[in-house]
Amino acid sequence: MHALIIDDSRTMRTILRRIVTELGYEVTEAGNGQEALDALETGIDVDLCLIDWNMPLMDGYTFVTRVRAEPRWRSMTLMMVTTESEHGQIVRALAAGAHEYVIKPFTPEAIVEKLELLGLAAREVPA
Amino acid sequence: MSTSTAELSMTHVHAVVEEVWTTFLGGGDPLYEIAPPTDRDPAEQGSVWDAAITVTGAWQAAIVICLPDGVADAVTRAMLGFAPEDHLAPEDLIDALGELVNVIGGNIKSLMPGPSKLSLPLVARGPISPSTSLVEACRLDLGWGPHSLRVVVSVPADQDRDQQAEEA
Repeated sequence: MHALIIDDSRTMRTILRRIVTELGYEVTEAGNGQEALDALETGIDVDLCLIDWNMPLMDGYTFVTRVRAEPRWRSMTLMMVTTESEHGQIVRALAAGAHEYVIKPFTPEAIVEKLELLGLAAREVPA
Repeated sequence: MSTSTAELSMTHVHAVVEEVWTTFLGGGDPLYEIAPPTDRDPAEQGSVWDAAITVTGAWQAAIVICLPDGVADAVTRAMLGFAPEDHLAPEDLIDALGELVNVIGGNIKSLMPGPSKLSLPLVARGPISPSTSLVEACRLDLGWGPHSLRVVVSVPADQDRDQQAEEA
């Protein structure tokens, strides 16, 4: 499994990377939507994108619309991870094609729970 | 939850800061309110870092967090998962404190009428003064272990006058 973490904050990328690598993901990082599109254009096979909203050059909402316009990237799961919590923005992102929306601050458990609901994280079953 | 401008209080700001603090720093020392004026003014504790963000739109404000060196260092290490012996570069502090004020600012914004937009954060060693057209609407002095930090929300003067009229 491969996750693309898109956030202009290296700190937030580090926090998210810790969470998803624990789940067994390989990680690619991008500092904005354009960098993320450039990474996808190299042909990496991404299962999950974790996307901030407010970023320089290209914001997360624009990234979602660009990805959803490309049939070759249709299978990727898109999760917004952002401080933007106005109802209108959440509706807009989901309508544009984001599958999930997580508001910062979040606990690792909250991210894992969302990924489990999406079938992208397996809860460990005691032997 | 959205609230009127008149209802933005220290209680709201404290709740937001505490939630963000607990989430980022885990189960360390709790934050507690200290009454100003205080002899634990962050600026009196040596060098400080200021992190600021602005909100524009239906509600306008500047939010500034002032942290003494010790707090800035501890917060950055906790957020980045650095050990005490790991070297912290200024870029690490700028990035972590920028994200801290971004999350606190975003959550304060969510309490106020929208739509509004957050700026990108600004972080500096030393004080950041909001525009002279803004007046202080809320100041929160918090203790954290032996340290203190300060959160200030400033709003345009006319918005503040509207708030005072609503309160009257």
